[in-house]
Formats: sequence, C-alpha cells, structure tokens
Amino acid sequence: MKPLRVISVAIAMTVLVACASSSSSGTAGSANPGGELTVFAASSLTAAFNQIGTDFEAANPGTTVTFNYGSSTDLAAQVASEGTADVFASASATAMETVAKDPGVRNRTDFATNQLVIITPTDDPAGVSTLQDLTKPGVQLVLGAEGVPVGDYARQMLDENKLTDEVMPNVVSNEPDDASVVAKVQAGEADAGIVYTSDIENNAGVRGVSIPTTQNVIATYPIAVVTGSAHTDLAASFVDYVAGSQGEATLQQDGFGPPPSG
Amino acid sequence: MHRRLPPLSIVLGAIGAAFVALPVLGLALRAPWGRIVEILTGPGAGTALQLSLEVSLLATLCSVVFGVPLAWILARGTFRGRATLRALVILPLVLPPVVAGVGLLEALGRSGVVGSWLERIVGIQLTFHTAGAVVAATFVSIPLVVLSAEAGFRSLDPRFEHAAAVLGAKPGYTLRRVILPMVGPQLVAGAVLAWARALGEFGATITFAGNLEGRTQTVPLAVFQRLQTDREGAIALSLVLVAVSICVLVALRDRITGTG
Repeated sequence: MKPLRVISVAIAMTVLVACASSSSSGTAGSANPGGELTVFAASSLTAAFNQIGTDFEAANPGTTVTFNYGSSTDLAAQVASEGTADVFASASATAMETVAKDPGVRNRTDFATNQLVIITPTDDPAGVSTLQDLTKPGVQLVLGAEGVPVGDYARQMLDENKLTDEVMPNVVSNEPDDASVVAKVQAGEADAGIVYTSDIENNAGVRGVSIPTTQNVIATYPIAVVTGSAHTDLAASFVDYVAGSQGEATLQQDGFGPPPSG
Repeated sequence: MHRRLPPLSIVLGAIGAAFVALPVLGLALRAPWGRIVEILTGPGAGTALQLSLEVSLLATLCSVVFGVPLAWILARGTFRGRATLRALVILPLVLPPVVAGVGLLEALGRSGVVGSWLERIVGIQLTFHTAGAVVAATFVSIPLVVLSAEAGFRSLDPRFEHAAAVLGAKPGYTLRRVILPMVGPQLVAGAVLAWARALGEFGATITFAGNLEGRTQTVPLAVFQRLQTDREGAIALSLVLVAVSICVLVALRDRITGTG
C-alpha cells in the first residue's frame, strides 16, 4: 500500500506544480526580453519558418521559437481554444479573421504571397502540361479539402477559369493540407495535384506545371501577434522580423512572392 | 467482500473516470440536438454513413474469412516461427494507423511492390477507391478476429476433434460441424470488435485510400473534414460513432467487463 501511496502523491504534486507554473508564466513572461515564443503557422510555411526561427533565435540569444504547423483553418480554431499561441501566420485572410474576432490580434501585416501550381509525378503518367489538361478524362487529381486554404484557392482558381464542371469529376481525394497533396503525387498515387509554388521549391520528386498569372490566384499571407500573448514584445519583434528584409529573403528563397504593395 | 478503499485512490480514480467521461460529455453538451436529424439525413452525412456501413461490414467479412483460418493455424499448427507469425498478425493492433497507411501505400499503392503489378496485370487500383478503404479497415481489424478466435480454439478440448476423426469425419467437416459451433461466441465477439474498429478507422484510410465523398470518405473522415467548415455537423456525426461504440460495449458487456 505504502509505495502506491507515495507514487499517487507524487503524481498529484506533479499535476499541481504543472498547473501552478503554467498559470504563473502568464504574468511573468512579458517582463522578460528573452523567452519562449509559440508560433502557429500554415503548413506551407514549414521550410521557410524553420529557417526564420533559427535565424531569429541566433539574433535574439535566450529566445526559443516553437512552431505548430497545420492547416490555417485548424490552427485558427486552436488559437481560440488553446490560448498558447503568441503569433499566428495564416495562408488566408479568412483564417486570420477568425483569430481577429476571438481572441483578437495586433500588429497584423501581410508578409508574403503565394501562387498555385500544378504538380505531377516526375514521369507525368497522365500527360499534364497545361491547366486545360486537368479536364482530360481519367486524370487522377488530388486537391486540398474544402475549408483548407490551398483547397479553397484551387477551387476558386478552377471556378474563375470556368473549369469546375470538367475538372471536379477527376478529383480522387480531398487532402487535409498541401503537404498531403504533395505526398500523394510524389508517391505516384495521383496523376496531378494543385498546391502552392512554395510547396515544390524544396521538393524533388514532383514536376511543376506553372499556371499563367492571368489564370492564377494569388494567396496573401497575413501574420499577427495574438491578443493575450504572454510575450507581446518578443512576438511583435518576430512579426517585424518575418515581414522585414531578412524574413522576406528567406521566404523568396522558398518560392514565396513579396507582399502585395500598398 | 466489501473493503474500505483508501481515500486517495478514490480521488485519483474519480479524476481518471472524469477524464474519460469528459470528451463524451463535451460532445453531448455541444451537440446541435435541434438540428441533429436534419444534419444526419443531409446529403453529405447520409453518404458517409452508408459508405461507412458498407466498408466496415466488408472489412469484417474479410477479417473473418482470412482471420479465422489464420487463428486455427496459430492454435493447432506446430511449426517453427509460429510465435513470430502471431506477433506479426497482432502488429496492426499496436501500429500507428498512419504508419499502416504508409505501409499499405508502399505495398499496394499504384507504385507499390504488389500494387504496381496489380494495376498492370489485373487492372485494379486500390488507392482512391472504396476497395482501398476496405483494405485499410481490414488491415487494422483482422488482429481482433485472430486473437478472439485463437483464444476460442485453444479453449477447445482436442479430444472432440479426435473423436470426430475417429468417427470418420474429414478435417474440413470437423471444423465446420464440430469446432466452429463450439467457438461461435468467441468468433462473434471477435467479429463485433473488428467491425467497431473498422468503423472507426481513420489514419490508414486517409493515408492509403484518400478522402472523397461517396468513395472513400467514411464517417471518421467526414468528421475530420467537417471540422474545417461545419463544427456542429462534425459533432453530430461524432455522436453517431459514440452511440455505435456504446452499443458494441453493451452487446459484449459480459466479455469485456469480465467480472459482470
């Protein structure tokens, strides 16, 4: 009986200490210039933000940046429910609006743009060289799911080119995010997918078929400090860093375009 | 026998119970009860429910057809590597489903080890088709049939088989007319558990079979997708799976709770 009791008490203490420390960090954090920053970011930003995080940590000793990547829509819901995000970087204005309503944002700025691109396996089994080729019967196309920015942008693009009716019957899967679309095409399971140009910058094993600017949709990426962040100043300097020249250089290396002017 | 329980264990136990009950309670409290019938009979939900039923029943059938003979081999066979074979068969039970999905892609996908051959020669593609969802669900549920059936076969006295053999029954006849009827309850329990597991399958399905309404989008995938756009719809569909799970527990209560 006794050892069990000791263990139980130990567990209970651990839980209490954990609760206590997490609640205290909320007040103490903002006074400290260094510290831990949690950034929720669209999964298309993964490669660029990992690099920017490393650079930012090097420029601000004592700072740790932790990233949570995922679908912007999912992340927006998590920001409100979990309250652990200091910064939110979204692939769409819609997801940012969700966070702006609850819990609110400051220092919001558009920091990058992205375009859509068609991808195929390197051997291009279905012969896709233009947007129009996606209408060929039997082309197995994967898109991001509805409600996921990359999926919504792709649908918007098809719609604006009046291709929805012909292309949608070729869709074989609606994937949870752009990384999954790339994975399905890379594996040779699907004949084609629609993702962001930034998705294929670092991805060997897929072939990109560019969509002319006149037919394309421009995705604008907003970033902001989340209201209620325990590290407001640090979060604001991270936002500045991403939107600044160093951040922009890294983002452009990864295939992102400059933010919309004006 | 009624013993006094130490207060601390009551407290910790209560926390444990609350922890398990809370998510279900959360679903029930946040459910759009007023619209639930409307949501569940709506076009998307109805398609997912029907597809889930088809996929899970076919997966259960496959698990029984291949799993019961496998259990018989494991229970009665004497060959080297039997323990290894059993471990292999149980593996899907502990394997993360997404890993199962990746494995299925590499094996049975269009460019997979066997899948490329399947497509070239037989003209069958599993990925992005309902058959792929059935394969994924079968993969994760077959161990439950094997485990349950093997336990049943092992609890049988081999003298019944000997008696049948002495009386001139062929092995196949003995299996069908003597053994299977005696282990019926275990087989049913295994099949029901396999069905419940197949019904809830998510990771292997979305990784291997993809996510398309009416073809591979089963209820768990529909829940996942609706979370993006329609939280109430996701909760309503989740409740269907909760209800089914509770029914399975009730049906198997003696077998699972054990002490009764």
